[in-house]
Amino acid sequence: MPFSWKHQFFHIFLLLVSCRHIKTKTPGPTPPPLAPISPLPTADRSVVFKGESHTEKLEVLNPVSLTLECVWAGNHPKLPNITGFWKKDGEAIENSHLTVQLENDQYLIKRVFNIVNEESLGSYSCIFGNEAKVDFLLAAPHIAEVRDKPIVSYVGDSVVIPCKMEEPKPKPNTWKWYKDNGTAKEQIFAAGKLDRFEIKNENGYTKLTVHNLTEADSGLYYCGAVYAIATTMSHVKLKVISIQEPLKPFIAIMVEVIILVTAILLYERSQSKKNSTAGNDVNTDQSHIQVQEENSLEENSSMRQRKI
Amino acid sequence: MPPAATTSLGYSPPDGGWGWAVVFGSFISIGFSYAFPKSLTIYFKEIQEYFSVSYSEIAWVSSVMLASMYAGGPVSSVLVNRYGSRPVVMVGGVMVGTAMLLASFGTSIMHLYLCVGLIGGFGLAFNLQPALTIIGTYFQVKRPLANGLAMTGSPVILSTLAPLNQFLFDSFGWRGSFLILGSICLNCCVAGSLMRPVTKVVPPKPAKSESKSQSCAERFIDFSLFKHRGFLIYLVGNVVLFFGFFAPVVFLAPYAKHQGIDEYSAALLLTIFALVDMFIRPVTGFLGNTKLVRPKIQYFFSFAVSYNGICHLLCPLLPGYAGLVGYAVILGLGFGMVSALLFEVLMDLVGAHRFSSAVGLVTIIECGPVLLGPPISGALVDAYGDYKYMYYACGVFMLAPGIFLFVMHYFNYKKLEEEQRQSVAVEMRTSEETVQLNMSQKHTHCW
Repeated sequence: MPFSWKHQFFHIFLLLVSCRHIKTKTPGPTPPPLAPISPLPTADRSVVFKGESHTEKLEVLNPVSLTLECVWAGNHPKLPNITGFWKKDGEAIENSHLTVQLENDQYLIKRVFNIVNEESLGSYSCIFGNEAKVDFLLAAPHIAEVRDKPIVSYVGDSVVIPCKMEEPKPKPNTWKWYKDNGTAKEQIFAAGKLDRFEIKNENGYTKLTVHNLTEADSGLYYCGAVYAIATTMSHVKLKVISIQEPLKPFIAIMVEVIILVTAILLYERSQSKKNSTAGNDVNTDQSHIQVQEENSLEENSSMRQRKI
Repeated sequence: MPPAATTSLGYSPPDGGWGWAVVFGSFISIGFSYAFPKSLTIYFKEIQEYFSVSYSEIAWVSSVMLASMYAGGPVSSVLVNRYGSRPVVMVGGVMVGTAMLLASFGTSIMHLYLCVGLIGGFGLAFNLQPALTIIGTYFQVKRPLANGLAMTGSPVILSTLAPLNQFLFDSFGWRGSFLILGSICLNCCVAGSLMRPVTKVVPPKPAKSESKSQSCAERFIDFSLFKHRGFLIYLVGNVVLFFGFFAPVVFLAPYAKHQGIDEYSAALLLTIFALVDMFIRPVTGFLGNTKLVRPKIQYFFSFAVSYNGICHLLCPLLPGYAGLVGYAVILGLGFGMVSALLFEVLMDLVGAHRFSSAVGLVTIIECGPVLLGPPISGALVDAYGDYKYMYYACGVFMLAPGIFLFVMHYFNYKKLEEEQRQSVAVEMRTSEETVQLNMSQKHTHCW
């Protein structure tokens, strides 16, 4: 998505707006109220475009009353009236059909949406007749993937699984951890110091430490970044194996080393035996000549050394 | 200074045959020594999370390992002087293997410093020195080529270990990977078993006059090297150049990312660098062996060092990704050339007999600049917020010693020629026949 200043200002605006909202919230796993007690903060987003379609991504942190506006330049020939309507997640919204007039050589559709919880997030589209549309993708900040391959650890050992919300994305209110137990996601609570699980939360990241691993601990783990509007998840797979697994290649390679070393040394032994039996007589003559050479060489080198 | 290494060796090296198996063994040992510490960085992020430590604390594991590897040089030299290369390399392989095995059961970061860092580093030192030394005992005529081939082990093993480590990490996590890496490092023992002591046709009585002046040296370390002109030139040049040698490679990817290049393209730069490096090392060895270069191989080394310096000075001027690719290529050329010649020129200066002590002394003194180089460069980058000052600094750190080496070796060669003329005159007076034999040997490596 191309970076735009409008997006950034909108972002900051939402952040400032949410600061006011946070003071009324209590920390802990209480679900955000469906019907807010105080009136929702408002925000708006306007897109001017030509052509057939356009996509806008919006990061939503807190419940907001969002006004979405689409302004379309139109196609030739430009009809004076055109039907426009809204869709959410691909399905038409009831009572959203209306006739749009051509004003200032443009068509304009506007609607207010109450974004209050996770269901309110998703894809909102404004549609001009059957010709053009804008998709607004509303989502809470996405967590960067921890690791695409599984984290490997050992029975009896401990493991640390991190989760981080990258800068410059807004930091979540808190973090939650879940484990996939086959059917559903089960939340992990790090109760006390004696517990096997340990959760350490800091503003931008969280760490789940699991002690005394067993093979049953293998599986998918989810870290959830909790925002007022929704919780975004990222997952990572944990694989717990026994120490036997790496032991097999270890022993295999050690055996290979022992075999090679023995083979090389035995080969050398056989070679030297061959040499000693073959050239015994020749050697004594040669050594005589060598001794002579050695003696004269000694004299030369000793003379040279005197010069140093 | 006795220029003829053959006479100080006392025998005629095979220059082939089993020597090539020894080169292969050295290839493995040298490769592991240089590549292993670098390849471990892949595990750091997970270990950092596991022990809840900062990144700099985990990066210390690499630094301790590198420091131990360099500091262990003299110890390694003493042992090689005493027992030969083979036992030391095999002990080294067992040490690294045991270190990684123990580390896989580690319960604290201190545990890792001790096992991976200290014991592992020493084990690698016991691999590096003997592997370099034994090449000098097997080769004389083809020695630059043998050295170039052996040093190619570093980029080759690094390119192998990098994806292997990634695979191990994905399959077994860090503990299992350390366990398996322990067994992989035991392959250094296989390399060691290849390092058969060279069969010297030596008389039963060792040369008395030689042993008198060198018996103490052979026992421990040959400190008389500090009076050796060539050794001192080498030492001074190397200490300065190592400040600027590794940093440009370490910062290549971050520099690329700083310029807005994405991670994969930045990683590709390192791959290009490694491939060029891999290719140029044996080529440099081969060139060093040619009749034209071999007698004046010190100039070749000085050229390689100066070339590196000029590359670093030019780097900031090269724009865009294409410029960086070009820089990665010329950096690979320069890095490979210097690496291939690094120990060959030392052997050339001090002779294979004293090489073991020389390399031990050199590595422990180089420990400082090797460890300080990247952090100083990092500090320069942080201070100015720009990479170009770091590249200028590294350029100077390499160009200055390059020029120094050119000049000093010009004088050194002159002096050596003079000494040789004098010694030749003396020899001709003593024995005709042995002189003819020596002359034919000397022709192959005129200094």
